[in-house]
Amino acid sequence: MSEDLKEEMKKLREEIENLKEQLKDVTERKLRRSRGIYIDIGNRVHDYIEDVMEGVAEGIHGELEKSIFIGPRGVRIFRRGEPHEEDEVEVSFPKVAEVMSALGQEHRLRILNELMSGGKYINELQERLSEITASTLSSHLKVLEEAGLVVQEKVRGRYLITMPGRTAYKMARRVTRFLERRNQE
Amino acid sequence: MIWQDYQLDNTVLRATEAVTLWQTERGIVEIGRDTLAIPIKVSDQRKGYIFHGNGKLLLDTIVETEEGAIGKPVEKEISEPFIMLGDTEETQQRLSIASKEDLTKMGYGNSQEFVAKAEDLFDKFFRGRVHSRQSFGEGRGLIFAFQNEASRLAILVAKGSKLVYKAIGIVFVSHENKVVLKSPGEVVCSNSGKLVIVRK
Repeated sequence: MSEDLKEEMKKLREEIENLKEQLKDVTERKLRRSRGIYIDIGNRVHDYIEDVMEGVAEGIHGELEKSIFIGPRGVRIFRRGEPHEEDEVEVSFPKVAEVMSALGQEHRLRILNELMSGGKYINELQERLSEITASTLSSHLKVLEEAGLVVQEKVRGRYLITMPGRTAYKMARRVTRFLERRNQE
Repeated sequence: MIWQDYQLDNTVLRATEAVTLWQTERGIVEIGRDTLAIPIKVSDQRKGYIFHGNGKLLLDTIVETEEGAIGKPVEKEISEPFIMLGDTEETQQRLSIASKEDLTKMGYGNSQEFVAKAEDLFDKFFRGRVHSRQSFGEGRGLIFAFQNEASRLAILVAKGSKLVYKAIGIVFVSHENKVVLKSPGEVVCSNSGKLVIVRK
């Protein structure tokens, strides 16, 4: 009898322990729910929300990309998906060669350097670059114009460096500086 | 003055010498010697012309910014008839009655052929404007309407330093240091060095 009682007591303790465990589990779940951390809404709903959030994130990213450049001289607004200047874009090799060829001449680089400070008439360029003859200067300007690095006004006749011309000139200098540093190392 | 008051004369004139119709630091419109002209009148007063001859349009539709120049100049030989509305005093002095030979030089058999061609352009320009009650009176500067390859009109409006040019693929507006350039790929707004570029 005492053996039976002991056995019964053991079973009761086990049941109590089980109930305690279950109670603890339920309490923890309630606590999580009340803090808003755990929401068991199933995988489909979760996937749907994830998709929606991804869409929203893409939209925000796109909007940010559109108006990303705000410099001291103004604002540059890009449309979504448009590659930035720094990004790699496909450019035809003949065009690259044309631009590089236009840049690859000391006198032409000197001309671009002069135009960096503002538009100039041909006689002003001639004065500043006296080592270049008038006919050579004209042919260099023609090469730069054809490459889209320089534009000439038709009415006043001044030569202006274009936006791509300015960028190309700066890049050429940067690349040279970079190579010089690397060679010194 | 409203558009329906404008009428095309039937007198054909010719330029006795080259005439610069408009010139500023931004652009030039000129006609060569022997260019034919038909006056556009309002109450028997000349208010403009339709020209046909060897004309030239130069326009620096360039925006100069600290980041470099944007845009390309317009340089066009004007071989099709075009309209000019506005002050014509200087032009009047260089126009005289055209002879049959003058018409023949420009490929016309008689004056009526030129008048008919001028009427077509006149109708094209004033179509849609007749009922709008828009006005263009004294001191309003100059309006030019050039025909392009697609027979559409390119419009140039100029008064002092103010300039508006609208053609296929380009709208250019300029006033002193303020410039707006709309091309197929982008819109560029510049105001005294400040620059905004909106790309498609």
